[in-house]
Amino acid sequence: MLFNSIDFAIFLPIIFILYWFVTNKNLKSQNLLIVIASYIFYGWWDWRFLSLILFSTIIDYLIGISLSKQESQTKRKMLLWTSILVNLGFLGFFKYYNFFLDNFITAFSFFGTPINAQGLNIILPVGISFYTFQTLSYTIDVYKRKLEPTKDFIVFSAFVSFFPQLVAGPIERATNLLPQFYKKRKFDNSKAIDGLHLILWGLFKKIVIADSCATYVNEIFSKYESMNSISLALGAVYFAFQIYCDFSGYSDIAIGTSKLFGIDLMKNFNFPYFSRDIAEFWRKWHISLSTWFRDYLYIPLGGSHGGIGNKIRNVFIIFIVSGFWHGANWTFIIWGALNALYFLPLFLTNNNRNNLNIVAQNRYLPSIKEFLQMSFTFGLTVFAWIFFRADSVSIAFKYIKNLLSFNFQKGIQYLSIERYAPELLILIFFFVILEWYSREKEHPFFGKWVYLKISLTILALITLGVYSDVTDFIYFQF
Amino acid sequence: MNHFIKYLISILVITLGLLYLSDFIYTQIYINAKPRNKLQYILNTKNENFDIVFIGSSRVANHIDTKLFDSLAQKKTINLGAEGAGLSDNLLQLKLLINNNYVSNVFLQIDSNFESISPSNIAISEAMPFIKNTIIKNHLRKYFENFEKLEYIPFYRYAINDPKIGFRELFFSSINKNPGTNPSVGFSPKFGNNIPLIENSLPSTIRERNIILEEIIEICKKNQISLTLFVSPYCSKTKTEDYIEKLTSKVPNLINLSEGYDDKLFFNCGHLNNQGAKIFTNDLYNKTKNSIKINARKHNTVYN
Repeated sequence: MLFNSIDFAIFLPIIFILYWFVTNKNLKSQNLLIVIASYIFYGWWDWRFLSLILFSTIIDYLIGISLSKQESQTKRKMLLWTSILVNLGFLGFFKYYNFFLDNFITAFSFFGTPINAQGLNIILPVGISFYTFQTLSYTIDVYKRKLEPTKDFIVFSAFVSFFPQLVAGPIERATNLLPQFYKKRKFDNSKAIDGLHLILWGLFKKIVIADSCATYVNEIFSKYESMNSISLALGAVYFAFQIYCDFSGYSDIAIGTSKLFGIDLMKNFNFPYFSRDIAEFWRKWHISLSTWFRDYLYIPLGGSHGGIGNKIRNVFIIFIVSGFWHGANWTFIIWGALNALYFLPLFLTNNNRNNLNIVAQNRYLPSIKEFLQMSFTFGLTVFAWIFFRADSVSIAFKYIKNLLSFNFQKGIQYLSIERYAPELLILIFFFVILEWYSREKEHPFFGKWVYLKISLTILALITLGVYSDVTDFIYFQF
Repeated sequence: MNHFIKYLISILVITLGLLYLSDFIYTQIYINAKPRNKLQYILNTKNENFDIVFIGSSRVANHIDTKLFDSLAQKKTINLGAEGAGLSDNLLQLKLLINNNYVSNVFLQIDSNFESISPSNIAISEAMPFIKNTIIKNHLRKYFENFEKLEYIPFYRYAINDPKIGFRELFFSSINKNPGTNPSVGFSPKFGNNIPLIENSLPSTIRERNIILEEIIEICKKNQISLTLFVSPYCSKTKTEDYIEKLTSKVPNLINLSEGYDDKLFFNCGHLNNQGAKIFTNDLYNKTKNSIKINARKHNTVYN
């Protein structure tokens, strides 16, 4: 079920009413309602996916309980590895099987041993990377004795499948989300209103900005060979805004929806395009995944301790794995490696924690230095996004080659979507102003004139939104 | 909870109000703006005499040099060919045109559009602002299962057709920006020649009959309008050319000009360039000049 669909617009109020007016007296039934609602929400795509999430839930629930009872370190380790292998096994099979097979075939052919093997026609279950990582974090935390395992299967199921964040995060930690299902939720007006604001802002980002960008991006990337440098540069910039507004829009709706049910989720984006260096960008982009990799991969590998070789290795591992997490394609791996290259100079010179404060805090405008820093960082990320968006590595390189050919023939190109390539910049300009204005908050609906701001946003949603071609959220495919 | 519910209701009321307001503003602007497409032009035209009206798809819009035909025939000519238009769209154009104007001769392009009886997405989009018009409403109703949604949910018709009648088009209409093609003339020539031409395929089979074409023939007969059916040229790389032969056997008196044009005269395989359009217009005139009716007259049939 898509957040930007009529189905969800009917589903959400029904669950809200049942949650606060029918099951509100009993915590267990409230949690059970969350589980049922989440399974309906997830099964809406394909009911067969439910068996996977149920199996994953049962395995990790049982392993969690066994870990708490088991004192033998060897057996505890075995239990942990069982959970890791089952979860990553599912992920590996559904997401990476064909990728590895194709690459093995290519590698063997390269060394003169051709292999005949058929790929499988596998449907990737929506959001598998998200809930797999969420359940893994639970088992690892229980193993490390940071968390007491839950004995309540309904609570654990609610934690794994909580519908607002099930298919595209934020990837919640059990230490944050699980305890909230134990507590009786009291309806909080201001929290619920804040939730509404976040939902509205998320819808604006997705339907107005991301989907408008998608039209241009699809056109420019599919016809990159006939595009001049201006259009190609615009295509990359539009994609930067498409993916940001698509994903952060989803996160806003997820966090806002959770608030309606009295549950707080972690912040996932913090105005990443106003970052002054790439380290700051990675503290503000997909925070729940970055911190997951930091806590469960980077630190166990040794983190920033050890020799320079270890440091470089760890940085590359975390960025490349992060890239690979996004999809079974070399484009994502190169995107990750490129970000590692961007990050390394800051890291090795101990400048990766220079910009921890909010940019231009208590000022209307950034300084020239801040502006140049933000522009440079944005340029770097836009360049890396080309790999992320391109269908293959060779296409990405051709795209970049054409972009850097400085071909300005045809000037401003008129695309076959009957739009001039730079037209969308007007909308993006206004969006950036709005984001800048609200960069110390979560959304622009604060201070005076809230009703006016809401009305204008709704008006923009009505008149500027893309409804002719309703698209999935990009991160569903990951 | 009460506070939240009041707040939620106020947001829903604002949303509903804005939906109605947007719908009203969009509709008023499209109704009152200078026409930017051929449907708007037809709706804004009243009590005009058209001696010759060309209808069809882009293979009419790009192929018939209206001024040239006008000067050859010495008769008032208009080209209502529209990109992507099918026979159903042509039928709607014809109904609207003869409802308020006088037409003597209709030239209708027939080719692979014989296979379709549904309106095109472009035509549907362009008709949406005028959905309250009885002719349009009755014409489109049969193609939509939930036509009431388009008619009664405020702004729905604009939202789902945003690429064609969304904010961008509204803005251009509100400032009376001239369209690329002047709808009162209607010829939109293509320039150049995309050699090598990419192969074009015509359908391998032909449908038994086309009820829309039959309706057009019937309307013209009823209103004593001379109807000429013709096939525009295709380039030499067109496959399954026996389709045209099958078509000529199905459609009586079809003037077949699909062959005999040098590939240099094409912009792409299905569309002549400006030079080709002039030659084709001339050829079509010579083929039909003896059958063109002289005076436009008022029609009796009222369509609704």
